[in-house]
Parts: sequence; structure tokens; C-alpha cells
Amino acid sequence: MAEAVVLKAEDICKSFGSLEVLKGITLEARNHDVISILGSSGSGKSTFLRCLNMLDPPTSGKVSVHGEEIVVKNGHPADMRQVERARQRLGMVFQQFNLWTHRTAIENVMEGPIHVLKQPKAEVKERAEALLVRVGLAERMNMYPSQLSGGQQQRVAIARALCMEPDAILFDEPTSALDPELVGEVLRVMQSLAAEGRTMIVVTHEMSFARDVSTEVVFMHKGKIAEQGPPKEMFGSPKTEVFQKFIADVR
Amino acid sequence: MDVFGVFAQFWPELLSGVGITIKLAGLGAIIAGFLAPLLALVRVNGGPAAQVPLRFYISFMRGTPLLAQMFLIYYGSGQFRPFLQDIGLWNFFREPFNCALLAFVMNSTAYQTEILRGGIMGVPHGEIEAGKAVGMSYVMSLRRVVFPHAYRIAWPALGNEIILLIKASALASVVTVFDLMGQTRAIFQKTFDFSVYIWAAVLYLCLTAAFVWIWRRFEHRLSPHIHGKRPSLLGAMTKRETA
Repeated sequence: MAEAVVLKAEDICKSFGSLEVLKGITLEARNHDVISILGSSGSGKSTFLRCLNMLDPPTSGKVSVHGEEIVVKNGHPADMRQVERARQRLGMVFQQFNLWTHRTAIENVMEGPIHVLKQPKAEVKERAEALLVRVGLAERMNMYPSQLSGGQQQRVAIARALCMEPDAILFDEPTSALDPELVGEVLRVMQSLAAEGRTMIVVTHEMSFARDVSTEVVFMHKGKIAEQGPPKEMFGSPKTEVFQKFIADVR
Repeated sequence: MDVFGVFAQFWPELLSGVGITIKLAGLGAIIAGFLAPLLALVRVNGGPAAQVPLRFYISFMRGTPLLAQMFLIYYGSGQFRPFLQDIGLWNFFREPFNCALLAFVMNSTAYQTEILRGGIMGVPHGEIEAGKAVGMSYVMSLRRVVFPHAYRIAWPALGNEIILLIKASALASVVTVFDLMGQTRAIFQKTFDFSVYIWAAVLYLCLTAAFVWIWRRFEHRLSPHIHGKRPSLLGAMTKRETA
């Protein structure tokens, strides 16, 4: 019954100078898991996510993708090729979208598969078009990011991650930079991804997403996992005081 | 003074001068254009061992007159003739054109490096991270994200630098290069008709105007996302799709 482990983080610590941001985080993502990471700002949740694909390499601890450990020495990845391979299998969606502004929506989506994975252009174009249709941007494929709203840009960014056909997707507060009325369109796309069994790790402030969509909720507090479990349990009977307070504050 | 008579009589010389000016400024800008991105990367990412000499070089090139730099190469190389002959470089330095070109390349490289450095630093950090996140290598992210973006930012300033170079190339006439200014001076010495300088001014103006026009065309093509124009690629794609 147990699904294969896609991504595993063991005892991740991360310091920026003398500031200790992560103090030993262990987390496992299996196929089809949708893990929501909650926590107040400064709890280290985004940093943890960025440790997973080595945008911020951990100071200590192990990250493995499909059982292959990414070797980090003295705070730097030992083998960039290995990191690049791992990143190709882990999509990432950023808070600020980070689309390439000099490329159109569809060029953004096609960039990785064509130039990084070296896939044939015609095949990629077909897939990219289908993905943009799926995220509701059929009419805007040839527009530049500056011509799109925040919600549309974020949906392009999701399509860009999907087009790499990743084994798991990391979301770093994907709706935090959006106007409230645009949050829904992005969450709906994410929900449909969860429904089709995508493996996702989502750093978010969206309680409803964490409660209704995710298979597991992780609550981080001051660089550690304070509480972790299935959403029903977590929201039904929060065990720790800090999580109780967090839920109360957010509501 | 015979404004049109001078032109009618000497237009072949003037045009050959225009040719030399284009060759001098064009080659200078292009060679500097190949060196600048490499040096700009060093300016952005290099360690102190590479930074210090580079910054010294750039300060020198930007802080001293181009005319002095050209004299330094032209007359200086004469002083070292035996040495240059020994290492086989005298054939290069004996040509005034080459000395002027070298001075322009060295000078323009310094300016273009600083302009591009600004462009590179202006590339949004998040876009570089997005490149990393899809698994791009360092070199690929330079090729696909950093430089395409940096050149779009730096484009107008680079154009400016090249216009300055076109005009500065007139200095080459001082070391006996028969560029447009060199030809103009020679004609004036023969005829004492100063209206030939008017023709030189008109021709320089045509040169820079043509350059500006071409440069703007490229700018619009490179940055439709800034200029709000649809990319030509879009037209081609929709045509194919509707066919």
C-alpha cells in the first residue's frame, strides 16, 4: 500500500550567519501526497522549501530525491549536475511568479522542456498548449507576463512547472502575492492537480486549502515542526498550544 | 567658397572616408562587444584577484582622454619598435588604422563592460532563480535568462556608447588615418574651402541617424514586452495555425 518516497528531508538545519532558521526538520513526501506547510512568518517554512531543491542549500541534514541523496559539503552542493537533475524532477512555483518577462506565456512554459530536457519542440509545444488551456489561458498564450494579471501569471508559472513533467511540485506561498479576488483561480488549479494525484508540497497561508485539499499538514514554529498529521486531526483537535493559537489568530 | 562644387569634385574621397569611419567604428564596437560580456561577468561575479586589475583598467580607460590613449599606442609603439619586431607585432602597429582601432576597442570595451554590468545587475533575481528551479546549468541560465534580459536593459545605453564611438572615430584622423575627418582635412588643405566641413558634418549626421534608426528597430524587436508591440513570431504562428 505504501507509495514510493519521492522526496525525503532528514534533520535539515539552515543558518544564515548566526541566525538559525531551521533546527532539524524531517519530512517525507510519498507519491500522491499533498503536504501543506503552515506557520507564522519567520517560522522557516519558505526556507525549508528552498532547501529541498537547493536554492538555499541546508547547513546540515540530508535531502534525497527518489532515494538519491544530494550531497552538500560546507553549505554548497558538491555536484551541481546532480542538483540540476534533481531540480528537473521537482517543479517550483514562486510567490512572485518569477516568469521570464522577455518571453511570452507559452515561451515560458516551453523553455525548460526544450532547452533543459532537450525534448523536440513540436511535442513540447503541443503539451504546453494543452497545459495553458487547462489552466484557463487558451486566449493568452502569446501574451507577455506584463500583459497578464497576477493570477494569470501564477497559472502560467504552474503550467511552466507542469510542462517539465515533474515528480513533485514545490509551491512557495503561491497565492500570497495575489489580490484576494484572484486567489481562487489559482487555488482551483492547484486543487485539480491534487485531485489527479500530483505530489505537492505547499507552503501556504490558505487554511481552506490545507484543511480540504492536503493529505498531510505540517505546522512549523521557530524552525521546527511543532505539529504534523492528517488535516482532520490537526484542525479537529490541535494538540499543541502554538498551533491552537495559530488557528485562532488566522480565523 | 563653393559648397556644391566641393562635393561634386571630392565626393569619392568623402565616401571612401565614410567607409573607413564605418569600418573603424564598426569593428571597434563589434570587437569590444565580444569582450564586454565576459568582462562584465567578471565585474559581477569575479573574485578580488580579477576585480582589482579590471577596475583599474576601466578607470584608466574612462578617466583619460581617448586621444591620449591613441597617442600612447601610436607613438608609444614606435618607441618599442625593436621589441615589437622581435615578437612579430610590428606589422600590426605600423599601421595607423590598427593603432586607432586598438585604442577604440580598448576604450569602448571599458564603457560597454560597465553598461552591461548594470544590465546584468538589473536582471530580476527571481527570474534567475526560476531558471535554476527548472534545472538550468549556470552557463545555460546566462545564455537563456541573464544575457537576453541584460542586453534588453542595456540596449539604449549601448547604442549611445556606439554613437559616441562613431563620432570619436574622427580622432583617428590625427594619426593619419583617412577616415571621413581625415579626408575632409586633406581636402581642406588642398582647396581652403571650409564648406567641405559642412559636408563632413552632414555625412556624420547621416551615419549616426542611420545607426539610431537601425538600433531602435532592434530595440522594438527585442523588447515587445516593453514597447507593447506584438512580436513578429506571433504573426507567423497564427498564420501557420489558421492555414
